[in-house]
Amino acid sequence: MYAAASGMAAQQTNLEIIADNLANADVAGFKGAAASFADVDAGGTLGLGTAAIGRHRILDQGKLMKSGGPFDVAIDGPGFFRVEKNGATAYTRAGEFTRSADGKLRNADGWALHGVRIPSDALAANVERDGRVTVTGSTAKVRTIGRIELSSFAAPEALHPLGATMFARSDASGAPRTFTPGDGRSVVAFGMLEKSNVSIVESMMQILTAQRAYEANAKGVQAADEMMRIANNLHRS
Amino acid sequence: MNGMQWMASAMQAARAQLETATHNVANVSSDGYRRATARLELTSHGLVATEAHTFEQGAIRHTGRPLDFALLGPGEFRAAGAPTRNGAFVTDRAGFLTDDRGRRIAGLRGPIAFDAHTTVESDGAVRSNGRIVNRFALPAGTRLQSGALETSNVDAIGETLEILNAQRAFETAQKVLVAIDDTRQKAVNDVVRLK
Repeated sequence: MYAAASGMAAQQTNLEIIADNLANADVAGFKGAAASFADVDAGGTLGLGTAAIGRHRILDQGKLMKSGGPFDVAIDGPGFFRVEKNGATAYTRAGEFTRSADGKLRNADGWALHGVRIPSDALAANVERDGRVTVTGSTAKVRTIGRIELSSFAAPEALHPLGATMFARSDASGAPRTFTPGDGRSVVAFGMLEKSNVSIVESMMQILTAQRAYEANAKGVQAADEMMRIANNLHRS
Repeated sequence: MNGMQWMASAMQAARAQLETATHNVANVSSDGYRRATARLELTSHGLVATEAHTFEQGAIRHTGRPLDFALLGPGEFRAAGAPTRNGAFVTDRAGFLTDDRGRRIAGLRGPIAFDAHTTVESDGAVRSNGRIVNRFALPAGTRLQSGALETSNVDAIGETLEILNAQRAFETAQKVLVAIDDTRQKAVNDVVRLK
């Protein structure tokens, strides 16, 4: 009975994660999650059901799509943008930035892209594949004003999530290592955004599977309950 | 053994059968899980259910995630000595491959390190920048597929039938037990009436 109940709880967790994935399927830079389950064995012959042993982000590349934003950037390959706000540092793959009054490139939550400040006389800006940021001033001369660096982690899946697309380093993730894009590594794509890596069709399929599994487990609970009822009625039926 | 003891053992066996089936159903989403079967045996002390694990390969589910591995054939991953067929791994802060409980995966040359430049071949060879640096310990003939997981080999429909089966068997044994009890009651109370 408890084995079946643990199965119901596991499917519930599973459904919650799938629902969260689906809710963020349209958020640029979002990475879906998956739960991992394993059987619980007390060492004897009797199994104790199942337990969720982990929940990890799936950090696969999302598709890049052309976007309309003036300072949209996307990463093609592994790595994160480093962003800062009020002295705090976070990491993200969501590259939807706009130029703020102080020349910094900020996302909707006010996090500024590290290492880039657009001068006030800039008329147009561009980001090269290797991360170099160039601007065209009033003299029509193109000059480099900074370079976007990317950060990688030994265990990126252990990063601490801050909302849907932002992450902070954690003890388990290891220290960030910065690298410059290009040179056979990840490149930066300007005027593009990375779509979420959640597949809606696949998520729907997962929901159906989880639902059926939940029902099968409920059947198990029912059967165990029924048996106990029969056993309890032994003395008078 | 008398009839009542036989039926009691049958009820216990049905109960064990149910526990095995519910344990299986609970693990229908546990990657790498191999379902257990309850085999019923008639012994001198009644009907006894013994649990045994099956070794049928589970279906391979493509995930595309580079840290997911499926074993095609017998064998196991060694997570700090504990064998597992669940190949959904992550990396730890030192860059080593671990299971979800943080136990490092052992290769033939120590724990397997994994980063963005690491590739794994189907024969278990782990390459970093093209050079073989480690190797998964695989039995001869077993292949390794990366970007995929072996799903649980539990068939939810089959196990639901097993649950219903166990329930009915339990009920039948109980009915017979009650019938035996009734005859005994008659024997004790009705055959010889003391006036």
